[in-house]
Amino acid sequence: MASPDFSLSVADYPLIQVEAWDRTLGQFESSLSASLGTNLPGSVGETVHHKGLLVIRVAPRRLWLALDDGAQAPALAVDPDLGCSVSLDEGRMRFRMIGADIARVLSKCIAVDWRAPAAAPGRAVLTSLHHVPVLFLRTGETACELIVPRSFSRSLSDWIAGLN
Amino acid sequence: MSSNHKRLSMGGRIDREQPLEFIFDGRKLAGYRGDTLASALLANGIILVGRSFKYHRPRGIFSAGPEEPNALVTLGIAGRRQPNLPATTLELADGMVVESQNRWPSLAFDVQSVNGLLAPFLSAGFYYKTFMGPTRRAWMFYEHFIRKAAGLGRAGTDPDPDGYDVRHAFADVAIIGGGPAGLSAARAAAAAGAQVALIEQDFLLGGQLLAEPSDSAAAAWLRQAEAELESFETVTLMKRTTAFGTYDGNVIGLVEQRDPTNPAGEARQTLTILRARSIVFATGAIDRPMVFSNNDRPGVMLASAARTYLNRFAVLPGKKIIVATCNDGAWRAAFDLADAGAEVTVADLRAAPPAALAAEAARLGVVVRAATRIVDLRGGHAVSHATLIGPDGQSETACDLVCVSGGWSPTVHLTSHLGVKPQYRDDIGGFVPGAFPADRFGAGSMMGTYSTTDAIENGHRAGTEAASFCGKSAPAPTPTKLDLGETAAAPLREVLSAGRGKAFVDFQMDVTTGDIELAHREGYESVEHLKRYTTLGMGTDQGKTSNFPALAAMATLRNATIPETGATTFRPPYTPVAIGALAGRAIGHHFKPIRRTPMHDWHRANGAEMLEVGLWMRPYFYRQSGRDVNEAYVAEMQNVRQAAGLMDISTLGKIDVQGPDAAIFLDRVYANGFAKLPVGRARYGVMLRDDGIVFDDGTTTRLAENRFFMTTSTAKAADVLSRLEFLLDTAWPDLRVALTSVSDEWAAMSVAGPKSRAILAAMFPALDVSDDALPHMGLLESEWEGRALRILRLSYSGERAYEIYVGATAGEQLWSRLLEAGRPFDLKPYGVEALGALRVEKGHVAGAEIDGRTTLDDLGLGRMAGKRTGFVGEVLRRRPAFQAPDRQRLVGLECIEEGKRLRGGAILFLPGEKPYGHGRGRVTSVTFSPERGHYVGLALLAGDVATEGSEIVAVYPMKAETVRARVVSPVFLDPQGERLHG
Repeated sequence: MASPDFSLSVADYPLIQVEAWDRTLGQFESSLSASLGTNLPGSVGETVHHKGLLVIRVAPRRLWLALDDGAQAPALAVDPDLGCSVSLDEGRMRFRMIGADIARVLSKCIAVDWRAPAAAPGRAVLTSLHHVPVLFLRTGETACELIVPRSFSRSLSDWIAGLN
Repeated sequence: MSSNHKRLSMGGRIDREQPLEFIFDGRKLAGYRGDTLASALLANGIILVGRSFKYHRPRGIFSAGPEEPNALVTLGIAGRRQPNLPATTLELADGMVVESQNRWPSLAFDVQSVNGLLAPFLSAGFYYKTFMGPTRRAWMFYEHFIRKAAGLGRAGTDPDPDGYDVRHAFADVAIIGGGPAGLSAARAAAAAGAQVALIEQDFLLGGQLLAEPSDSAAAAWLRQAEAELESFETVTLMKRTTAFGTYDGNVIGLVEQRDPTNPAGEARQTLTILRARSIVFATGAIDRPMVFSNNDRPGVMLASAARTYLNRFAVLPGKKIIVATCNDGAWRAAFDLADAGAEVTVADLRAAPPAALAAEAARLGVVVRAATRIVDLRGGHAVSHATLIGPDGQSETACDLVCVSGGWSPTVHLTSHLGVKPQYRDDIGGFVPGAFPADRFGAGSMMGTYSTTDAIENGHRAGTEAASFCGKSAPAPTPTKLDLGETAAAPLREVLSAGRGKAFVDFQMDVTTGDIELAHREGYESVEHLKRYTTLGMGTDQGKTSNFPALAAMATLRNATIPETGATTFRPPYTPVAIGALAGRAIGHHFKPIRRTPMHDWHRANGAEMLEVGLWMRPYFYRQSGRDVNEAYVAEMQNVRQAAGLMDISTLGKIDVQGPDAAIFLDRVYANGFAKLPVGRARYGVMLRDDGIVFDDGTTTRLAENRFFMTTSTAKAADVLSRLEFLLDTAWPDLRVALTSVSDEWAAMSVAGPKSRAILAAMFPALDVSDDALPHMGLLESEWEGRALRILRLSYSGERAYEIYVGATAGEQLWSRLLEAGRPFDLKPYGVEALGALRVEKGHVAGAEIDGRTTLDDLGLGRMAGKRTGFVGEVLRRRPAFQAPDRQRLVGLECIEEGKRLRGGAILFLPGEKPYGHGRGRVTSVTFSPERGHYVGLALLAGDVATEGSEIVAVYPMKAETVRARVVSPVFLDPQGERLHG
């Protein structure tokens, strides 16, 4: 039976991935921070939202830059001696989930503790859903997003819909 | 309905206002809400409940918990059928249908009980000693019959209509066990501010307190404790939930049974994966049986269980009762049973039981026989007489219930799962957990302290410390005391008597003292050997009641102490877990996640038969191409050869390789060189494993000086990325290279055939797709409809072909437009069956040949590596074994018998050779070749017989087919490669 306290919507999720080389992380971060006009998230799982851009540190040397709906992509010129960037415009989908029942539904999807500081609003966790790697993004008290690979998205949205 | 004639009119924790009906072996019986199946059966006077595993001896209810070895039943019918469930843990529900098992034609008259007469021949190791001959295959013959005769219940074969669920849960402190220690620990941890999960396998909290009278101080304490816990928002009470395993990282596997009063739509069982920051183990202790002749008769019961049935379920399980014991605890059962009206005799091994107990016994009319042991029982389907030996000699006493208690065995299974070795404590004669790491704690009788007062105190301490470990240290009020007056247990450390009849150590696996003596005589003295030789402790009860008596018996035989004899290793699961619970919702179309390409919907809407390839769904063939796959794939491949075909290749693995050291990196991971590959060009590459075996193949294109676009086979995409990341992290962390999977970024399609260039020109009129601008292995980058576009001129089919990559969101649109543009050129889609056939004709290897056993040289690709050095697998690919002359290598086979065909998997023999064993090689891939007009195939054939032109015989035992073939070049089509440019 569908819960009135939970909703799921699916949309494209354009991203840019940037990555630093091991020995140039500091310089890379300074340069990127200057380009974006904001501080970068300091540790894995932290995010910074700035002018329509969500910066997520998904690995120690790797960040995802996600655009809000309608936002313009930043002009990035990554120095190849410091790091690199790759467009991930097409390969990810966003599951936006909202509702009071979200913790119950999510408990049947991913191994993330809804109450833990690591999953507090504004935090991100790389985890897996039905064996598929996904990024969990906590967006509010009763809201979150899952960023999933496009090829799996229909299978995974079916899975979640079945829980609701 | 039966009478519940053993039910007392008052007391217990059952709800007499809620009568329930259930069926046992076809008989309609009655019980009450709050009953277990076992208590309801006992209330109805049913003593005989099952038959034993090997000897089919009659068995009754032995315990009142998950340690039950005897009373295993099958619950439910049709798809809901569940075998081998202990009646002692089944919460009675209205309409429950239960049957006994391992009997035929009936429980009372079981034909296979004749096994008891054959018992002298059925000792441990009997099957393996007896059924080994006369030939090597004899066991295969006997096994069928032996398995049919053995076993317990039968699983159902109908689909299970019920749902199961899996979920994740988290807690600061997980407390396993809802007895006094666990309740006290939960209260302390919650008061300290921790998030607490209290796990209890029973449908009521209380543990051993439930065996106390329902109007006692213990009951009042329990009510208060439960109310306090319910008042905490931070406490989750998980009743009906069994912790079946504990794992690294404080992960606890839990199975929760549905409350039978809840709606049927709920999951029947829920598997919860609980992650806790700290764990308190309060798993209690199990009453220890006594070993004597015929100790398995129905009517023999643990003393603690008899007390539970009396005080919790208001069932008086016998009227003339013998309590055989060696410790004070069982006397409490004797007193309660006498108080309820039974005639009770206590046979205590001790010469002088405590005076206070003797005085109470005298007050209640309990007969006390000190320094007396029980040695034998009589009775068929129910015990009728017990033989006792004491100071006055041997005597036989009539009885209908024998309660036994040999002390307590702490339940250390779950702590053992996490590697905490049990340690023997001589003062309690039992094993307790060894030293815990900082995040785990123990409390109550599982730690060897058997008084309720101590359990509450050390539970409180454990809960406080567990919360403190999580940084929650608010002061917790002192727990309310409860003194039940227990005294120290004097454990039984030896086997009492073997008498004349069988003395069972492991009731469920029918292991007797005789079996242990045999194991000892034959040298199986180690506990681990004893276990495997006799099957001791290998039943569904995991030897909860048998492990210690078996150890004691072996220690006696070895003239060693119990710790010298050793302790067995406990492994998950603590209790059996239904496969359905482990699967949860991952069944049917959710069995595994499905990957769909961007063109998936187009394929479905346009007649594609889809095929699962790994997790991907791919077009197998298109129905408009033919009546079946065989007709369709031939038509599709002919269209590719004569005009052009369009294939969805989005499933290929795609990896973006970037960095100043990207070329060096590729030079090391591929057997052939990439450093000198010009920008804008692609190259076929092969990767080896460290051992020199081929790992995967694919093409890599240089997009820029420091950037490459790698494709892998569909099957190995994840493995290749993982392998490359591993190499970067461990072998070459100095290289500045970034790897990113872009498999889902791109929709990819291949236009193949002699008209493919014309189709491209029609589709992309603004692009120069001439041979000069886009030569074979060339790259063209552009945009289409505002999205990135890459066209690579590569061929897998042997025809001129182009791989077209576009952003995934535009994939279906481009696919449709290409077909439209290609219609005048007869462009048609084709599926993976035709793709495979095309590559076989061209002699390209794929997964069937790159099967984890073949080298570059085996596949005829040795020249790719030449004399290069410094790449993964380079050293070991040269090892002598890979150079052996009879090593199998890739050849082509042509079927030379009219009307016959080759089959993949066929074994190859020389003409006249006896078709036995592994032969000289195997057929790996086959297809009907329209070009040749007969079946052709690729094969791996021993090099010393792989002479082109020679004849070979392909044997396919599955269909009893034998076909003659000729060994030829694996390239059946266009060996000069002219069609690539046609």
